[in-house]
Amino acid sequence: MHLRPDELIDVAEGKRAESSATHLAECAVCRLHLAELKAMMSAAADVEVPEPSPLFWDHFSARVHDAVAAEGSPRRSFWIWPRLTLPAAAVALAALLLAVALNTGRVEAPAPLIVPDPLSPVASVDLLSDPQSTSDTALTLVAELSSDMDFETAREAGLAARGSAEHAVTHLTGSELRELQRLLQEELARSGA
Amino acid sequence: MRSAEPGLSDLDERALVEACLGGQSAAFDVIVERHRRSVYLLCYRFVSNHEDASDLSQDVFLRAYRGLRSFRGQSSLATWLYRIGVNVCLNRVSAKKPLSESIADRQFVDETAESAPDRLLKDERGARVRAAIAQLPRKQRATLVLRMYHEMSHQEIADVLGSSVGAVKANFFHALSNLKKMLGGEVL
Repeated sequence: MHLRPDELIDVAEGKRAESSATHLAECAVCRLHLAELKAMMSAAADVEVPEPSPLFWDHFSARVHDAVAAEGSPRRSFWIWPRLTLPAAAVALAALLLAVALNTGRVEAPAPLIVPDPLSPVASVDLLSDPQSTSDTALTLVAELSSDMDFETAREAGLAARGSAEHAVTHLTGSELRELQRLLQEELARSGA
Repeated sequence: MRSAEPGLSDLDERALVEACLGGQSAAFDVIVERHRRSVYLLCYRFVSNHEDASDLSQDVFLRAYRGLRSFRGQSSLATWLYRIGVNVCLNRVSAKKPLSESIADRQFVDETAESAPDRLLKDERGARVRAAIAQLPRKQRATLVLRMYHEMSHQEIADVLGSSVGAVKANFFHALSNLKKMLGGEVL
């Protein structure tokens, strides 16, 4: 039985002594195979790769560096979304707050308190009954504008779809809304708006 | 020359990868500097010309950078880069016939050590062997290149190619046998 390819490779590479393969001594076919394998290994080993100029390596490193720089950080998949969206969201919220703040100037007197139908309002927080909220003119205005808005009206207006950010905002508690307001005011102050 | 930040060049592979992921892009420059030659030589063995080898090497590093988070350190960085390199090169040689550089285009070999006729003969013989290697089936070619020119163990080659040691040895055997068929006695 002739030597298998892996056995011939082991012998050709010197990992296995020829003497250990007793079959070789009596098989001319396997000896020929072995001689050809060694000859081809030798021929392949003689093929050189022209060594590039030393200057090439610096140029190459610079090319890779520039290409990598254009890619951004390998972490970017984690951070690209918040990096791009947080400033935009902050600006949008700041603009909203600014619009609300400007509108409050036109409210001459708080409207009478209206207790909304518990099944129809969009906001689950009754801002009008929250003493801290009613002291805030901006929140009072928002509460007034939304207090008589039923679900269908809000839906037709494209507001507060369940699972949306708007939905989440309209379901904040009074203290959460005040914290949001504080954060937005900080953002406005920082941006100089 | 683009030099690495002090201290980075002393870091081991794992620490360099961590530094890259931590936002220190200079750490990747160190990785490139350490492995650029072996990656280039690997690519050259597949495409046999400087321009393509240079472009492919850049592609290898770019892909490595993009996939750095997936490097788990289970193999060496060199083996991981070889794996990327083999994939890039095999895809490339599938899409485009390899172009061999003419002997006249090979400007970088030190020709002072041999006489001109000896060098010419060796170059011609080398060109024939390279052309024959370029005709080998993909896995046979990859196995021969990694084994002959990068001194990788059978196990390492199996890791790179996603095969077994037995399959690597069989591929190597068939690669050499096919070379013999293609070259006949001309290089013996």
